[in-house]
Amino acid sequence: MNVPRGTVELTGVGKRYGRKHALADVDLTFDHGVTGLLGPNGAGKTTLLRIVATSIAADSGQVRLLGRDPHGSQADVTAVRRELGYLPQELGYPSDMTAFGFVEYVAVLKEWNDRERRVREVRRVLSLVDLTDQATVRVGRLSGGQRRRVGLAQALLGDPRLIVLDEPTAGLDPAQRADLRRTLSTLGHRSTVLLSTHQTEDVAALCERVVVLAGGTVRFDGAATDLVATAVGRVWLADEPGDDALVSWRTGTGRHHVVGGTPPTGADPAEPTLEDAYLLMLGPDAQRLRAPA
Amino acid sequence: MSTTPFVTDAALVAAVADKDAGALRELYERHGAWLHARLIRRCNDPEVVVEVVQDTFVALWKDARRFRHDGEVGAWLWGIAFRRMVSRLRSRKDVVLIPDWDVPAAPQQVLPSAEDLVLLGVEYGDLAAALRRLSPEFRSVVQAVVLDGLTTKEAGRLLGVRENTVKTRLHRAKAQLRTALTEPQEGWR
Amino acid sequence: MTTGTQGWHADPALLASYLAGDLDAVTGASVEQHVSRCEACRAAVGHLLEPQLVERTWAGIRDAIERPPLPVPIRLARRLGLPESTAVLLAAAASLRGAWLVGAFLSLSFATLAAYLSGGTALAPFLLVAPLAPVLGVATAYGPRQDPLEALVATAAYGRTRLILLRTIAVLVSVLPVTALLGLALPGPRWLAAAWLGPALALVPVLLALAGFVGPRAAATVVLLGWSSVVVASTRAGLDPAWPVEAAQQGAYLALAVAACAVIAVRLGIDRRRGVAL
Repeated sequence: MNVPRGTVELTGVGKRYGRKHALADVDLTFDHGVTGLLGPNGAGKTTLLRIVATSIAADSGQVRLLGRDPHGSQADVTAVRRELGYLPQELGYPSDMTAFGFVEYVAVLKEWNDRERRVREVRRVLSLVDLTDQATVRVGRLSGGQRRRVGLAQALLGDPRLIVLDEPTAGLDPAQRADLRRTLSTLGHRSTVLLSTHQTEDVAALCERVVVLAGGTVRFDGAATDLVATAVGRVWLADEPGDDALVSWRTGTGRHHVVGGTPPTGADPAEPTLEDAYLLMLGPDAQRLRAPA
Repeated sequence: MSTTPFVTDAALVAAVADKDAGALRELYERHGAWLHARLIRRCNDPEVVVEVVQDTFVALWKDARRFRHDGEVGAWLWGIAFRRMVSRLRSRKDVVLIPDWDVPAAPQQVLPSAEDLVLLGVEYGDLAAALRRLSPEFRSVVQAVVLDGLTTKEAGRLLGVRENTVKTRLHRAKAQLRTALTEPQEGWR
Repeated sequence: MTTGTQGWHADPALLASYLAGDLDAVTGASVEQHVSRCEACRAAVGHLLEPQLVERTWAGIRDAIERPPLPVPIRLARRLGLPESTAVLLAAAASLRGAWLVGAFLSLSFATLAAYLSGGTALAPFLLVAPLAPVLGVATAYGPRQDPLEALVATAAYGRTRLILLRTIAVLVSVLPVTALLGLALPGPRWLAAAWLGPALALVPVLLALAGFVGPRAAATVVLLGWSSVVVASTRAGLDPAWPVEAAQQGAYLALAVAACAVIAVRLGIDRRRGVAL
């Protein structure tokens, strides 16, 4: 099979923990560009990313990464891992290491054996995440956002073709998110970038493509603009909350933002946002998610 | 760490104590060059000078907490740098230069303008003339202790004489200078 | 201070001849005193210095601060030919430094015991502790029960198994010689000094095999209890003090070690298909 570079192919992939299906029969293909996985907690985002990062194997279905079987021969596994950058959801940072020391340690694990090239590469990725001046600070003394960026830096080592980021924006402030967006958009030209988040703003800002996961299945897969389009005609601004609305909340102007259901009397159609579309996509699950603003 | 708004040297040293590499870079940009220039006048091996400057800033990195905030960062750095050079060169007298006070060093010597001399003179007054009249061994002691800030013990090591000799020469040199000048200058002990 | 010079700055030609060493000592010293207190003139000196030289010097400073010196034992190993990248891996393992401490501490404790040993039944403490020292060191080399970098180590090309084996070897290399030397101080037949190595080396693969199922902590506990009961039981039964390390028993340890290695090999195969290593 002739597989283009930078491709992730999942066919009928399933994973269960005990009797609970974390993923069920997922078919997805990713090519280069930035894709956001959106979904509530427990939707299967982390499970999917861990499978793509070769951290765990699927129970059923077929996984092909960069044209190889990630759990086949040792050669295949290693070949895939050489082209992989992974930021796990929970990454412990040994607090007595410096940011530089940490990234260098990971670089050695990624087989950057030549000292000079390794040091140069470590500096490069640290400057990509704007941590050049903090490179020598012990990780234990960095802020949460800076630590997250250290984690991101190691995922960028060697410009991998497959970059898997589990909640990269957790703990970042708006300015740092903007920086991350810039970094990712340049990476997306060459690499396949998969990231998870439960914040729709991230997806709107960072991703060309969105996959909405819920209950271990794919609810939507397409361009971010197409996701927004699914909500056209189902969002209103009204003086009262809708009786059968999926969710509604009072906005800053005092009117109610009503998503789904029938329009209350005197409602004006509103321009849907990605969040509206996401909530509608999740259906009844959404009520738990949207706390009144 | 950017230069605007202006950050004082002492604040940069405090940041270095918190392992901020950017602050160290800024201090290096402010002080590296003149330390380099001042050391190269005292050592004719450029490699040694590069290493001493490096050692100085690495020492600053490690010991930034020891900086007492009532002093000047520049003077503190010079103290570290020159002491390191002296101890490094203890066994290599050939590369230590003790400035020659008698002869202008180069044929195409640039003479400071009259104004420059006057303004530079503010630092030393008539001292220049008085210094020139000192005998060479007295001058080298004045150079090492008064101008370069070594202790008499360190100066003794640098000059290859006993500490007591340094003390005696320094004492006599000061006395001669006092006689030459009508009154003691600021900065003299 | 030098209020008179506030408005004055050395002109570039003067500074250039200062740098070139062309000023006589007194003028030079005057320029020096001025420059050391005048920010603008310090900057001017900076512009006169070769940029290459400035950068080269800085590169050395940056190297030194980014990469603090390696711990002494690792520097020693570097001199004996340990690759630089491997040294980085070992130096980064804070747990390993802990392991060395544990190893050293245990070695010392049984050295003290050994010194007081007067032959006869007092051999038991040494036989109890000596084989366990490397095992506990290796267990510590795993790091905490859940390595904070677990997810990264598991998906890096280097491989988790390789990393654990590397740390295991490092622990053995650092603990065994000390223990062996202390063994020489034992009373009784000379072969005793080496005999404890049998169980010591056999227990390491047993630990690694068990750790694959129950994690390093529990595995270490099992090995510790197991070995202790062998030694204690033999003493209680009134057997020869050297019984735990006699030839027949050594054969049993060897068999155990082979079995453990087989378990490790089988598990590695299965785990790779499942996506986790060791």
